[in-house]
Amino acid sequence: MASALARPLITVYSEKNEKTGTSLHLPVVFKAPIRPDVVSFVHHQMSKNRRQPYAVNKDAGHQTSAESWGTGRAVARIPRVRGGGTHRSGQGAFGNMCRGGRMFAPTKTWRRWHRRINVNQRRFALVSSIAASGVPALVMSKGHMVHDIPELPLVVSDKVQSFNKTKQAVIFLRRIKAWTDVQKVYRSRRLRAGKGKMRNRRRVQRRGPLIIYGEDQGLKLAFRNIPGVDVCSVKKLSLLKLAPGGHVGRFIIWTESAFRALDAIYGTWSSPSSEKKDYNLPTPKMTNTDLSRLLKAEEIRKVLRTPHKRPVRAVRKQNPLRNVRAMLKLNPYAAVLKRKAILTIQKKHLDKQEFLAKKTGVPLQKTKQQVRYEQLIQKRKEAIQKSKAAKPKTAKKAKKAPAAK
Amino acid sequence: MSDTKKKAVPKEGAQKGPAAAKKAPVGNKLPAVPESVLLRRKRRDHERLHKVKTALKAKVDRLKKRREIFKRAERYVKEYRLKEREEIRLARQARNRGNYYIPGEAKLAFVVRIRGINQVSPKVRKVLQLFRLRQINNGVFVKLNKATLNMLRICEPHVTWGYPNLKSVRELIYKRGFGKVQGRRIPITSNEIIENALGKKDGSIICVEDLIHEIFTVGPRFKYASNFLWPFKLNTPTGGWRKKTTHYVEGGDFGNREDTINALLRRMV
Repeated sequence: MASALARPLITVYSEKNEKTGTSLHLPVVFKAPIRPDVVSFVHHQMSKNRRQPYAVNKDAGHQTSAESWGTGRAVARIPRVRGGGTHRSGQGAFGNMCRGGRMFAPTKTWRRWHRRINVNQRRFALVSSIAASGVPALVMSKGHMVHDIPELPLVVSDKVQSFNKTKQAVIFLRRIKAWTDVQKVYRSRRLRAGKGKMRNRRRVQRRGPLIIYGEDQGLKLAFRNIPGVDVCSVKKLSLLKLAPGGHVGRFIIWTESAFRALDAIYGTWSSPSSEKKDYNLPTPKMTNTDLSRLLKAEEIRKVLRTPHKRPVRAVRKQNPLRNVRAMLKLNPYAAVLKRKAILTIQKKHLDKQEFLAKKTGVPLQKTKQQVRYEQLIQKRKEAIQKSKAAKPKTAKKAKKAPAAK
Repeated sequence: MSDTKKKAVPKEGAQKGPAAAKKAPVGNKLPAVPESVLLRRKRRDHERLHKVKTALKAKVDRLKKRREIFKRAERYVKEYRLKEREEIRLARQARNRGNYYIPGEAKLAFVVRIRGINQVSPKVRKVLQLFRLRQINNGVFVKLNKATLNMLRICEPHVTWGYPNLKSVRELIYKRGFGKVQGRRIPITSNEIIENALGKKDGSIICVEDLIHEIFTVGPRFKYASNFLWPFKLNTPTGGWRKKTTHYVEGGDFGNREDTINALLRRMV
């Protein structure tokens, strides 16, 4: 755990974007495991907790005394409205398929609107989202314009907490280069798609930076009118603000006192939290997550088998009884047998010719092939005798026939 | 941004991360090569050397094996010829003396399943399963003894069998020979397949010729040799059957047809 847990120093910036002398150790929260799945789940549950119930009127569709006409009247058996003298009489009632009838499964107010989440899960998600806010890649991937800010996590002196004019707040955001994020919020202002427009949710915009303070000395008033900017006390962090939409990586601007308080609130792995009862940061599943280091490490490489760069593929079977190479691969002695067979045929042929020649008295005209055959036989005889004389225990393989036939 | 670079990773045995390409020069020394690169080089060279050595050794082994296979094949050719002439010699000798020579009863049979899957009585079905004849025109080599003879009697109407000669055995194994390797039906394209399956125990069967010899002469490891061979999937005979529903001696096809199985196999393999 130690090596992945180096805690770099974070410089505190003044409200004019100058480095103050102070630098703080990164709180251990920022090293907690980042689990987007946990954050997503908890956020999903949490966001249900602000819902207001909706339901239809419990009498809707039942305020008639309709009764079915039964069979035999050449009409469908749906309950029909009693009486006469009006259009409504005789119309179908009660069913979800009828006009003016009650809906299928009328919605009720006692639907389970809210969800409870385990405390530890809640805290896990929170801690994950704080850790993710310290990773520039994640913050940028969430869409925040953090290209020019001096450092991430961004810690600002406590002077910011005593701002009470929006003008001051704007100048401050400009100075530390967070204004582009706010400008993005401005540019993203648009009308909502869908019926939300007529349900008092007309306009939508992006989320901008989140300011987390230790003590509110007017800061809330200063920042509240800037679109997109949220403000939050470090003692009351909410996942809905830290991971809006269930996605980690919000751009957070910490004040110095808020940053200092984090270690006490969430604890380090060696010491539990002092503010929360019985809480310590979640232990990660992997202590060393540097994949490239791991894959090149000697300890791991030594245990791996050699990579199969060229996999062995199935060969097509070739019939050895027809394909000479396939046969020789399986039975090297087959060459000897084949050769012998060929030579035997040639010898027999030659013998027959000679016999006929002798019988008929016609001198035998030997073909070129037959001449070569005789030469071959001669050479082989000599070679055998020579090798037999030289080495009495020659392997018979040493007989190599010249290329002819 | 700046955060990841600031991580001062404490060195475990002075190993550097691959991100740090070159160390900053200490004093007046030239930049050193990072240790991970050195290790990689060492590992690579070691592997290369090892590969060359093993390749060389494998080549030498292969050559030795090839010589051995050649010698064995030669020996077998002699042996088969000898056996054949021996039979003839004994018959002639007996005739000369006015005696009769009775050759030994056959030890090897080749059994082919003639009939299909349907309407097979359970006892017969079981026997055919035990013979590994699960499909029509499947064939297996069977050692003949009292047990197997009785089994053949039970499943007689569904099989035809006989005593294969050397040519039949060779043709079957060379043309239609597939081996059972890790439960899969693998074609016998190389002697290594046979050696790995059968030769590891005592090196008695390391090539196709060894396998043929073991089958044909019903050697001590016949069981393993014939079990290694997947049941032969034969063609329907060109020229057709006579009458599958009656015994061979009745003018049909099933049952023991002794030596004429070879003629049938010529048409089926």
